[in-house]
Amino acid sequence: MKFAEYVIAGWVVTGTVFLAYWLRLIQRTRRAEQLDRDA
Amino acid sequence: MTLLKPTVGRALGWATLAALVVLALFGLWGAPPDSVQSDAQRLMYLHVPAAWVAYLAFGVTATCSALWLWPRTRSPVWDRIAGASAELGVLFTALTLVLGSLWGRPVWGVWWAWDARLVTTAVLLFLYLGYLALRRVPAAPDARAKRCAIAALVAFVDVPIVHFSVTWWRTLHQEATVFDPELKANIHGVMAFTLWWGVLAFTLLYVYLLDRRYRLEALEDDRDQRELQRLIEERIGAAVPAAGPPDKVTIGATK
Repeated sequence: MKFAEYVIAGWVVTGTVFLAYWLRLIQRTRRAEQLDRDA
Repeated sequence: MTLLKPTVGRALGWATLAALVVLALFGLWGAPPDSVQSDAQRLMYLHVPAAWVAYLAFGVTATCSALWLWPRTRSPVWDRIAGASAELGVLFTALTLVLGSLWGRPVWGVWWAWDARLVTTAVLLFLYLGYLALRRVPAAPDARAKRCAIAALVAFVDVPIVHFSVTWWRTLHQEATVFDPELKANIHGVMAFTLWWGVLAFTLLYVYLLDRRYRLEALEDDRDQRELQRLIEERIGAAVPAAGPPDKVTIGATK
């Protein structure tokens, strides 16, 4: 594949951003749910 | 406290994951390399859908902000959706810029150019970062919602400027591939399928994340309300003993 480093970097960055955002969202939601139950 | 039913939300999550896997298969292997840009063009299958979702997210933010400002439709739901969608818009705009930079380096020879499309997109990113910062400024819920709704509508003016920048000014960035000014698609076959699939997969991802982000926004609003209530009760509790119980207060004593 020509320009493989740019193409792979683009796909890896996209996957990492989506995964990191989703995990952070899940983590924040669980924490908020816990506080909601404790209240 | 979610926009979708939990079962629908879960099904959407799995459908989104499947759509993204299919997109990766077609984007990296199924679609042929471009005759001019070779394999560098494979970044288009991420860059264009990310830009589309950014427009969509900011469009949803603007629409919900207008619905909040309109007295007949005013509801905290619109404010929450607007905030959740703006955050996703920022995420997808940042991704569009990074992917564009990675695509520009092999094709243009530079990571960044002071080009109308690039600059207006960067301005869009900063406008909505400002909007998100404004949402964090402490204020009464209605006052915060009002100023954020106005800011969202002002910021949205940049979206059509970004989109038409390639036709209004001479730019390094290419003109629209999917719909040029004559609304004619300049892409065909497997490449067109992969691009449309990318748009579908990213749109599903946006809806899924919006649902999740809305739930978080609602939980955080409830927590803020509880905290405010607790502080008010603390203030009242602290104020009453200082003044003394009402039955011991003597007004106009005659002794």
